[in-house]
Amino acid sequence: MLEIKNLHVAVGGKEILKGLTLAISAGEVHAIMGPNGSGKSTLSYVLAGREGYEITGGAITYRGENLAELSPEKRSAKGIFLAMQYPVEIPGVTTLTFLKTALNAQRRARNEPELDALAVLKLVRSKAASLNVPEEMLKRALNFGFSGGEKKKLEILQMALFEPALAILDETDSGLDIDALKLVADGVNRLRSPERAMLVITHYQRLLNFIVPDRVHVMAGGRIVAKGGKELALELEAKGYGHWTKDAA
Amino acid sequence: MNAIVLPNRRIEDWKYSDLRNAVDESAVAAAPTAAWTMASVEGAADIADLPAIMPRGEHGAMAELAIAAAKAGPYVRVAKGERAAVHLHLVEGGHGRALIVVEDGASLVLRETVRAADFANIAVEIVIGKGARLDHVRHAPQHDTVQLADYAVQVADGGQYCAQLMNFGSKLARTELHVVLEGEHAEAVIGGAAVLSGTRHSDVTIHVDHAVGNSKSRQSFRYVAGGHSRAIYQGKVTVRQRADGSDSMQTAKGILLGERAEIDLKPELEILADDVKCAHGAAVGDLDADSLFYLRSRGVPESEARSLLIRAFLEDAVTGIEDEKIRSEIWSAVEAALPAAMEPAP
Amino acid sequence: MAAVSETKKTVAELGEKYKYGFVTDIEMERAPKGLNEDVVRFISAKKGEPDWMLQWRLGAYRRWREMTEPTWARVHYPKIDYEDAYYYAAPKTTAKPKGLDEVDPKLLETYKKLGIPLHEQKLLAGVAVDAVFDSVSVATTFKAKLEEAGVIFCPISEAIREHGDLVRKYLGSVVPVTDNFFATLNSAVFSDGTFVYVPKGVRCPMELSTYFRINASETGQFERTLIIADEGSYVSYLEGCTAPKRDEHQLHAAVVELIALEGAEIKYSTVQNWYPGDEEGKGGIYNFVTKRGDCRGARSKISWTQVETGSAITWKYPSCILRGEGSVGEFYSIAITNHFQQADTGTKMIHLGKNTRSRIISKGISAGKAQNTYRGLVSVHPKAANARNYTQCDSLLIGRECGAHTVPYIEARNKTARVEHEATTSKIAEDQLFYCTSRGIPQEEAVALIVNGFCREVLQQLPMEFAVEAQKLVGISLEGSVA
Repeated sequence: MLEIKNLHVAVGGKEILKGLTLAISAGEVHAIMGPNGSGKSTLSYVLAGREGYEITGGAITYRGENLAELSPEKRSAKGIFLAMQYPVEIPGVTTLTFLKTALNAQRRARNEPELDALAVLKLVRSKAASLNVPEEMLKRALNFGFSGGEKKKLEILQMALFEPALAILDETDSGLDIDALKLVADGVNRLRSPERAMLVITHYQRLLNFIVPDRVHVMAGGRIVAKGGKELALELEAKGYGHWTKDAA
Repeated sequence: MNAIVLPNRRIEDWKYSDLRNAVDESAVAAAPTAAWTMASVEGAADIADLPAIMPRGEHGAMAELAIAAAKAGPYVRVAKGERAAVHLHLVEGGHGRALIVVEDGASLVLRETVRAADFANIAVEIVIGKGARLDHVRHAPQHDTVQLADYAVQVADGGQYCAQLMNFGSKLARTELHVVLEGEHAEAVIGGAAVLSGTRHSDVTIHVDHAVGNSKSRQSFRYVAGGHSRAIYQGKVTVRQRADGSDSMQTAKGILLGERAEIDLKPELEILADDVKCAHGAAVGDLDADSLFYLRSRGVPESEARSLLIRAFLEDAVTGIEDEKIRSEIWSAVEAALPAAMEPAP
Repeated sequence: MAAVSETKKTVAELGEKYKYGFVTDIEMERAPKGLNEDVVRFISAKKGEPDWMLQWRLGAYRRWREMTEPTWARVHYPKIDYEDAYYYAAPKTTAKPKGLDEVDPKLLETYKKLGIPLHEQKLLAGVAVDAVFDSVSVATTFKAKLEEAGVIFCPISEAIREHGDLVRKYLGSVVPVTDNFFATLNSAVFSDGTFVYVPKGVRCPMELSTYFRINASETGQFERTLIIADEGSYVSYLEGCTAPKRDEHQLHAAVVELIALEGAEIKYSTVQNWYPGDEEGKGGIYNFVTKRGDCRGARSKISWTQVETGSAITWKYPSCILRGEGSVGEFYSIAITNHFQQADTGTKMIHLGKNTRSRIISKGISAGKAQNTYRGLVSVHPKAANARNYTQCDSLLIGRECGAHTVPYIEARNKTARVEHEATTSKIAEDQLFYCTSRGIPQEEAVALIVNGFCREVLQQLPMEFAVEAQKLVGISLEGSVA
């Protein structure tokens, strides 16, 4: 589904990703672990198409298409979803309005009929219930004044709503207490399916106890420096990143 | 000099300071050249007479008159990389002209005081070089005449202009600052306070012009107006086109103590670039009721509580003065002026 | 296939951009070009006005001759030649229609294109429409129901004839004849407008709505509105504007006066969507409006809400005189300027009475090469003990060629008053845009969404049907603003 080959990315003229290679097939959950500054968030932004992240070498192919040429909204309509580490606050725009606008924009782009307000509400409610997202939260301005946990829950709610083919979860565990973490992980696990690929980016192994990955990649210095099965995450936890980052250097 | 038209309240910029009502045109026309003394000079400052060719910044209407009329004035220069402290003391009123140059990497602490009790109208050019710094403390004591001071300040790359304007009012007192941030990372930090009583007037009018991007300005003023006095703040911030990354903040707060006092605040933004961070806040009000209640509930009598809170309010305005000696002198002046400002109107 | 549907969409959007751009060719009856006492007399005679009204107009005209056009606002436009304009134009239908079926079908057709479903509005819940086509009011509905409640809602020309005492008592009492250049001009030549009187203790049974149109070429529009809410009454008034597309600039100088007596409340909402000129800054309406409300009685309240998206030039400061003890003034404003539009708008809150309160929420959005200025005064007079004001003034910049300016004046002369003003200027944050686009929302739609969020506090003040229209307008006005 996703193939990244020797990817080089620069931000503000500074090279962050330095030859990253990675392939994910449908149905798989891959985890990327790495220390701060290893380029994990850069990878997630470049996949989602954020401006200012310049691909200086290599290629990203998504379902046979060159991803670099697509705007963020086109990527979204084609099934790429990024759950952000720091979801953005948009004052004055209610969460429900935002969800409806986004959902219908994606549907429109795919030539699917738009849903009316009532249908959206029903759909959102059904997804919200399973994530313990209270109705009241949907009426508040998007992410505005939300706690860290609420923001992350809302990201997963959007993932459930948009049903992406490729979901990238950037540090979804950061700022969550254990109960919230379980809830979010349950939400993610429910979305695992043979048609869907997931890329779970995390600093800690903790999340991977709940979202068990098929493959684990260790990232350091803008490259994948080690890969293995889920047991690699445990090894990493035990030995620390130093072991691998030294190899990279 | 025969056809002077004094700025008056019909002119937008002088709306709150009607000069025509405060001074005779003939007195303005007849005013001599003002005189300064150097009360003290420390460090490597060159003191000379004004050069034949003067730099010219943006000035207000009355400064133009001073520039035309003043025949001489002091020129203070701190050479590249040097440090100095100068105390400039205005001893005789009239039309005055001065030039302050702080060359690249140099620093100057400029203290300015005013003794002259007659009409004064001064225009000062200030040039701050790359990475240079000027700490400017102006202390205008209580007077009952017309006191006008107008500064054109140019700040180059990485230069800093820190001004502290302390006003205790006059029949009509106006301090104008025109600051142009001409280089990246140039900075202007301007603050001050006014403590007024009787029928005194104090007008601080400031224009900070972010001519290039990544420059920063801060303005913060605190006013206390008792009796029939009138305190004015007009502060305009301009961000020119393409001056992206400009960052400006303005605050002006006033407390009216007198039944017939007035505070007029006009913080103005003129923004012509989009990637900016500009904000202002202005407020006039009584002391915070919660704080007052809190103090009284702990046994502090109301008048004492009020005085305590007013001091706290004003203290914010002088903390920016880095020189401890100057700061404590200024604070003494504040303390001395407060009782009259807090006096109930007759 | 995709390309075809996209093309279709673009064409549709172009239509949406200014769907009100057309001209109807109803034969006009005009006063001669230019302005002199005879033209003033002509207008007055045309309206069948009593002599006091004519004298009032003439007084204004003579005064106006001595006045000069104000220049303090941050708007620039070529000098207006007041002698090169027509000051009166009316549809040829001289006999007043009694019902919709008597209205010129061409007019009705115009309204249809404008999206004012006049017929349907009879069925719509509680909206009476006094439609102004150019200068003469042509249709009024719901009159019976209003009459039952004792509410007078009619063209001001009719009120001058039939409720002379009321008009005479209040006209010019809030905006004096001598107030300002444009208001004085309006006083001399106003063609028509709306009159509302809500009697004591009456809650107006429906929202009153007037649609203004500018239609005749080279005809200035001088609307005059007078609304009086007697003791303990309530009225909500909606004003919406659209205009046909044309090249030459058109002058509009309206005057609106509101009077709220003891315990009365007036809510005045405007959506202004006149032709703003084209993308090169050609054409567009010059809109110089004087709107002022007088909270004359104790505990009265006047609330202005405006959504200003149209006009090439907007010069407008809906204000409140807070005279009555405990009276309340509010100003909620959205001003959007794009391309070459210039807006200088804001409010004045004049606190005269004790315990008066005011609230100002202003949202300015500037895009393209537009200039957008908030100008506002909060004045607390010596007798206004315990006066309170809160002002929040936010500006949003979209693009590097536009400007956003904030010019607030605070004048406090009572020690128990509390005035607070806050203002910010920023651009749409890149991370907000990315968040939206990464969730599939196209950039232009994302901008509209974020801007609507930015304006929410003001949009919420609008009556339901207006709010929906206004939200769409926000998006339409900003089209093409993001590269």
